[in-house]
Amino acid sequence: MPKYAFIVPPLTGHINPTLSVGAELLALGHEVAWISLDEQLQAKLPVGGQLLTIRYNQDDSEKQANAEYLDIITKKNVYGIESIKFLYEEVLVPLNRYMFDGIMQLLQSWQPDVVINDHQVFAGGMAAHLLDIPYATSVTAPAAVKMMEDLPKIHEWEVKQILGLQQELGIEGDKSLATSELLTLVFTSREFFGEMELPDYYRFPGPVISNRIAGIDFDWEKLKAQTAPKILISIGTTFDHQFKKDFFAKVIEAFGGEEIFVVVVSDETLFESWPSNFLVQQRIPQLELLPHLDGVVCHAGHNTVSEALSNGLPLVVIPIAYDQSHVAGRVVANGCGVRLNFNRFKAPHLKNAVNDILNEPGYRLAAQRIQGSFEQAGGTRTAAQWLDQIPLKVLHNG
Amino acid sequence: MDQLIQENKLSKEEIFETLNQFITEVIGEEFVEEMDITPASSFTKDLEMDSIEIVAFSEKVKNHFGPNIDFTGWLSNMDLDEIIQLKLENIINYIQECQ
Repeated sequence: MPKYAFIVPPLTGHINPTLSVGAELLALGHEVAWISLDEQLQAKLPVGGQLLTIRYNQDDSEKQANAEYLDIITKKNVYGIESIKFLYEEVLVPLNRYMFDGIMQLLQSWQPDVVINDHQVFAGGMAAHLLDIPYATSVTAPAAVKMMEDLPKIHEWEVKQILGLQQELGIEGDKSLATSELLTLVFTSREFFGEMELPDYYRFPGPVISNRIAGIDFDWEKLKAQTAPKILISIGTTFDHQFKKDFFAKVIEAFGGEEIFVVVVSDETLFESWPSNFLVQQRIPQLELLPHLDGVVCHAGHNTVSEALSNGLPLVVIPIAYDQSHVAGRVVANGCGVRLNFNRFKAPHLKNAVNDILNEPGYRLAAQRIQGSFEQAGGTRTAAQWLDQIPLKVLHNG
Repeated sequence: MDQLIQENKLSKEEIFETLNQFITEVIGEEFVEEMDITPASSFTKDLEMDSIEIVAFSEKVKNHFGPNIDFTGWLSNMDLDEIIQLKLENIINYIQECQ
């Protein structure tokens, strides 16, 4: 029975697609494991999936210090291009340095036939390379690939950070091992991704939207009683209090008391009171909710954008950091929505943008076109088949 | 718009005006009105442009000044820190040198 090991970072958006693809591999009769820092992941794994947790000795002070970097990503306000520097220098490189030894140990003991590393866990590609195990790569933030073309110098800088870590780990050569040259799965459709010359090992199975029922309470009666247009407004979970407060103050100004029903993903205590046409929850059953809505306003995180487009919903995108600017660029280039600048926009801009996407049918039609391209891309089953076709090494090294 | 194949060298002020126009096109007139754009303005900090906006801006510079300057090549020689620090006057000086 061939054994497949996913190597994932502690980021939900990066993990979810691997859970669906992993479930397909299990259905094909393979053994599947996930290598992660997060012990809680076990509860989310598909039936039969094994969790291999990276653990270090408590008195390894260097490792402990590195561990503190892991949650920094949620505690700092970063914006624009500077966020890319922050992401690599303060999050990804320390995270990968921290994970590397554990990945090596687990790959040596579990002995998978194929490794699938997340594109941001480049230590996974490096370890597989050193141990001579074939590896594929899962790209859950496809705009990062597109950025290679749009801002080549920034991509070059990113590669330099990866090569720096490779040298530190004693890997020779000047080629980044972050993404596989056997199979790199880019989780979107080719149509949404856009024109770019790429080697054949880049494959586009479409976004993976998990269909698990979230089991989160929601006032469906209230939603169904609405006659006004309904929208969702979310800027994800990674940005801190002040970002959210500034943002939602403008949202309230734009839509408070208007003929529109607004579902907001936020801590309810962010403001003392919210307008009566708002429904505010920290967590929402997003996938079950989207089919009932008319549009989505978000930070252009890849997952929320993919989920909205999978429902053929037009978007207003307001990117904050990382690759979101590029995801927003793709939304606009495909005609699926309107983009605003997070720092610059004011309430009237948001109001106009939402009016536009709700009232001009072109946005919805374009979103439906992308919806169709997602459906045709093949999804998790196709991704699993491609992984299944990776040639295995005949013998294990003891 | 005007083709820029000409013998006369553009002054710094003229280049600034052209670049200012591009910035306005990229980020929108109403926002520019509230900003105090000067040659010392930086793209990331002062103008709060994100990567897609910087790409759109550099496309416009490329299309306008065309074959006379290797804007992409020049930008490509910058590392991430230099792009983060990039100011309007850096581009003005570069275009002047190329004339």
